[in-house]
Amino acid sequence: MVAVVRSSFEDVTVTHHASQRRAYLTLVLISLFCMMPFFWVVLAAFDPKASQFLQIPQGVTLDHFKNIFANESGMRWVLNSVVIVGSATILTLIFAGFGGYALSRTQAWWKRPLLYGIILVRIVPPPALIVPVYKVMLFLNDWVNGLINQFTADVEQQQMLSRMFSFIDGYLGLILIHCAMQLPLAIWIMKTFFDAIPKDYEEAAALDGASQWQTVRHVLLPLALPGFAAAGLFAFINAWGDFLMPLMFTSSPELQTLPLGMFRAFLRVDAIDYGFLTALAVIYTLPAVIAFAFARKFLTQTFSGGVKG
Amino acid sequence: MSNIELIDIKKNYLGTEVVKGISVTIEQGEFAVIVGPSGCGKSTLLRMIAGLEDISSGELRIGGKVMNHVSPDQREIAMVFQSYALYPHMTVEENIGFALTLKKVDKAEIKQRVKEAAEMLELEHLLQRKPAALSGGQRQRVAIGRAIVKRPKVILFDEPLSNLDAKLRVQMRTELMRLHREFGSTVVYVTHDQVEAMTMAQKIIVLHNGYVSQLGKPMQLYREPENTFVAQFIGVPKMNLLRGKLQGSNFYLQSGQVVDIGNGFTSGNDLQLGIRPEHLKLQATGAQGGWTVDVVERLGVESFVHLHNATMEQLVVRVEGDCELAADMQVNLQIDAASCYLFDDKGQRLLRKPVIEQAAG
Repeated sequence: MVAVVRSSFEDVTVTHHASQRRAYLTLVLISLFCMMPFFWVVLAAFDPKASQFLQIPQGVTLDHFKNIFANESGMRWVLNSVVIVGSATILTLIFAGFGGYALSRTQAWWKRPLLYGIILVRIVPPPALIVPVYKVMLFLNDWVNGLINQFTADVEQQQMLSRMFSFIDGYLGLILIHCAMQLPLAIWIMKTFFDAIPKDYEEAAALDGASQWQTVRHVLLPLALPGFAAAGLFAFINAWGDFLMPLMFTSSPELQTLPLGMFRAFLRVDAIDYGFLTALAVIYTLPAVIAFAFARKFLTQTFSGGVKG
Repeated sequence: MSNIELIDIKKNYLGTEVVKGISVTIEQGEFAVIVGPSGCGKSTLLRMIAGLEDISSGELRIGGKVMNHVSPDQREIAMVFQSYALYPHMTVEENIGFALTLKKVDKAEIKQRVKEAAEMLELEHLLQRKPAALSGGQRQRVAIGRAIVKRPKVILFDEPLSNLDAKLRVQMRTELMRLHREFGSTVVYVTHDQVEAMTMAQKIIVLHNGYVSQLGKPMQLYREPENTFVAQFIGVPKMNLLRGKLQGSNFYLQSGQVVDIGNGFTSGNDLQLGIRPEHLKLQATGAQGGWTVDVVERLGVESFVHLHNATMEQLVVRVEGDCELAADMQVNLQIDAASCYLFDDKGQRLLRKPVIEQAAG
């Protein structure tokens, strides 16, 4: 009797193990399928004979990367992307910090409608905004170029200033557009974050004799750091991956960003250089990974124990 | 001089008056406790003294100077928050020294003063820890350290012990009293716990619905409550109140039972008889005691017997040590007439006529 019971128990265990093994196998296969493109990109980037098929490289080469920086304007694309997206992220964090704090602390009746209004902006698909935004930017562009022309008559200087401050085909325009696109989510993140920081800290600082600036500098900013990291990471990665806005608002090759450079390399009429494209894709991915690694430290930093027992 | 004078202080929130005209003077070096149920305006009052809330009308003076529009840091006060509000990203040392750092006090002096405060609060070994790595009681002590390191003239406490467990609370009560003795600062302490008020205060201010219900020394409030609110708020278990009418010296309960409360009161209807649980004595009887035992709470050193009568009026009686009673038993009550209080239907205390006292004396 006992033996029968035991054998049926073992049967159940065996079936259980077998089904678990099948589940794992399926999961591994799905993961491999999903990771295939990444493998291909990384392998092909270092493969002297990269092709459109996934293959084990015969050797390892850095020629594709050299090619990007030596023969093409790779460095310029990277720098353009870093400067534009980096500035836009910093600007976004400044505005989101102030805005999020104000929205968190105010009790005004317009708080809720405004918050929903902000998220509504985020819901509208960017292509739907292109025409009106272009119109506004065009108007501002005429105005700023008028100012530049008044400021200097030197054509070279005009060109240089125009590249910096133009709203269309200029750094400033692209930075502001990226900032505007990322601001809604960043404000929401910061608002939610400041909600979680009790007002007691600010009041304690006030009683300790801290000025408004000292409260921000010594108390609020350190406490809000994980929030800034989260908001900054989202803003950076979203703006870094944006293709549409640089395409619409820049035309000169000097302002070309990484995604545009890659897109135009892909569109070239002559044979597609897979090694070049995948190397570019690796470069394009790296900053996002670095940004994540950098922000991760702050993201996991949770502050507790300041209030209550 | 660091006495605190509140002169007809009022506070409005969007048209709702939460503090309705409070006039109190807290003397220099006094330990004053503001006590009352939640929503009575006690925390608002404290925050107005701290400068964290505007004063809608009235005048606040600290050390004789009008403080209505003086910023919190200029009032020479320190405050211990209910939530402690320790900066979580700073160590204990940085937390305690933060106010001095802001004032740009010499670094060596900051270190010295933080060390002194830490020694007083037995925090020396925790100075390099962050608040998250501290227990509730330790956090509480850091919060107090942060207040005393500034050497303020006035320390405000906003329900500082409410987040601690019962045992720690008793310990911290005695520590706070010791600290007050050593420092001599004026202390304003807000709590909803009348035990804290009774044990620590030199002056209790009982707030009710935004008004001062009564103020005075702890035992004065216990012995001479001016109204049913104070009578029931001060003392555990609360004072028993029984409705009825008075004819001569006989107080008739709604159940028809008669209590002799002695001479000196004016007869009337719709009155309330107040008697503290410790002033009642039980006499176990047979079948017809008039009072039935509901529950007996045994605490070891004392027991509380909950009773009801035919009209379901409730009473609590305090008995020394244990008692033999059980639920549904019938008992008789012996009431000491001299310990009876009488209140009118609005809850105001009625006093015995002094003439009778002379006669009695």
